[in-house]
Amino acid sequence: MRKRFSYSIAALFVIVLTACSNEQDVVTLYKQENPINLDIYIPETFTDNQQDTIKVKLTQAGEPVVDADYVHFEIWNQEGTVHYEMEQAKKEKNGLYSIRKDFNEDGLYFVQVHASNGGSIIMPQKQFVVGKLTENDVEFLDSHAKPQSGGHEGHH
Amino acid sequence: MKTEKQTRPSLYKTVWRWHFYAGLLIAPFLIILAVTGSIYLYKPEIENFLYKDLYEVTPQDERISPTTQIEEVKKHYPDAVVTTFRPGESESRSSEVGIMNHDKSLTVFSDPYTGNVIGELNNEDRIMDKIEEFHGELMAGTVGDRIVELVACWAVILVITGFYLWMPKKKFTVSGVVIPRFKKGKKILVRDLHAVPGFWIAAGMLFLIMTGLPWSGFWGSHFQNVATQTGVGYPPSIYFGSAPTSTIKTKEIADVPWAAENLEIPSSEVEGFIPIPIDEVVTVAEREGIHPSYTIYMPSDPTGVYTLSAYPPKAQDELTMHVDQYTGAVLTDYRFDNYGFIGKVVALGVTLHKGTQFGWFNQLMSLIICWGIIFVATSGYYLWLIRKKKHELSAPKAPSARKVKGFLILLIILGIIFPLVGLSIIVVWLIDWLIIQRIPRLKQFFHA
Repeated sequence: MRKRFSYSIAALFVIVLTACSNEQDVVTLYKQENPINLDIYIPETFTDNQQDTIKVKLTQAGEPVVDADYVHFEIWNQEGTVHYEMEQAKKEKNGLYSIRKDFNEDGLYFVQVHASNGGSIIMPQKQFVVGKLTENDVEFLDSHAKPQSGGHEGHH
Repeated sequence: MKTEKQTRPSLYKTVWRWHFYAGLLIAPFLIILAVTGSIYLYKPEIENFLYKDLYEVTPQDERISPTTQIEEVKKHYPDAVVTTFRPGESESRSSEVGIMNHDKSLTVFSDPYTGNVIGELNNEDRIMDKIEEFHGELMAGTVGDRIVELVACWAVILVITGFYLWMPKKKFTVSGVVIPRFKKGKKILVRDLHAVPGFWIAAGMLFLIMTGLPWSGFWGSHFQNVATQTGVGYPPSIYFGSAPTSTIKTKEIADVPWAAENLEIPSSEVEGFIPIPIDEVVTVAEREGIHPSYTIYMPSDPTGVYTLSAYPPKAQDELTMHVDQYTGAVLTDYRFDNYGFIGKVVALGVTLHKGTQFGWFNQLMSLIICWGIIFVATSGYYLWLIRKKKHELSAPKAPSARKVKGFLILLIILGIIFPLVGLSIIVVWLIDWLIIQRIPRLKQFFHA
């Protein structure tokens, strides 16, 4: 009796432990969001005295977002000499949206896309370089560098 | 075959014997849990009093941005890594910047109107956290956690066996059952001062045990894990499962150079997405209308996300949200309503257990139960002392539980529901079988 009892307890342990270590995708069992995914396309090279096109491709749940609630672009450079205020993007096919601007000054630039569709709102920023970095830009990038000592605290 | 007349008293004696031994062993721990618990109930009031100077700020017209506040903190702690930011739930509440500074976890309090650093608190020095550690794991890590869990589970057995012993034998009477008999001599009075209040707090005690157990390290974590995985518990990442990762692919992220590495940064390394400032995360939080007591946890690596969470007094206001650190997209947004049924029950259980769900009334009810537990545990000891003979444990003599079927089934069921209890019963039987039964002196001492 005692033997059988302890065997069954041991068996139960094994069942509980193996059942719990089975990792599976449980996310789908709960409320899910539908975030916008994006790619920002920056031209490989920029041309002087001519406009260049920056494009963004929006997808949601793997499908292109062909008719977003809004897509705005904002572009500025690190030196503070260029600032294209928030402006509505031109809608193209297959979830692509674009803007054409002059990039006549070299240096570090930022583009921020503000987009919204189906309840998801995004505001990503991408940095890119036109021509060469200025001395100021290098200093700026260095000041945002990682501190010497690392170490992070996990959540929970 | 035994007749009905013979089994009843032997069942009674067996139950009594188990109640006696279980009580003797776990009552000291129950007293510790009740004392620490009754202090922890008043955590909000105690902390508001202790940290008044750190918490309170004078509201002004304009708040300064979280980024500026964090910059100010960084000036004071140049080597620190910022891990959390808590904007503060009211106008007159300071904001908190959590940092890791030379391997110390500090909370720095900042005035959101001036950016001034008000003061710091080493998280290891928080007295209420110590109390919680004592309550949850007796300050002894995993071992302590398992002991507390075992005590909680055995307390269930104490309540059940105690209830059986308390039940009137023949017909229901008021005195000695629901009110103590004060004029029937000392022994009866002491017995009644154990059994009667025991009856009154039994339900509350069971409630505290059942609402506390889901937080235990062994039973609780398995229970919660199974609940999460079957879709009825907390959504993943709150206690089990990992947080989502950023929607931006790693190679699309701008590399952050190491300080003083080189001045010639190739532009291919520079190009890419950069994290959104924490100000934008606060904007997202306000837009999504989350409880103002939330804390933002910084992403711990380049593919990580901002985690926003709040555990306000009422379970219905809880939330855990993940925000993409590059796009600002809300990746998950779990509120109380999105918990599975078991998750909701557990979450409500927690706030009731901590006494926050219904404010002062909740605290008072829990406090009464805690004091009741201390009283019943103490009177139980006293009852044993006045009955105890010298040089003897004076445990009730009874047939082995294995011979009393009803009780054996109860033990097996509890042993299966709470494997730690099952394990401890096996250990007790092994000790009994291998040691006590073989040494006459011990056998006599334990009445085994």
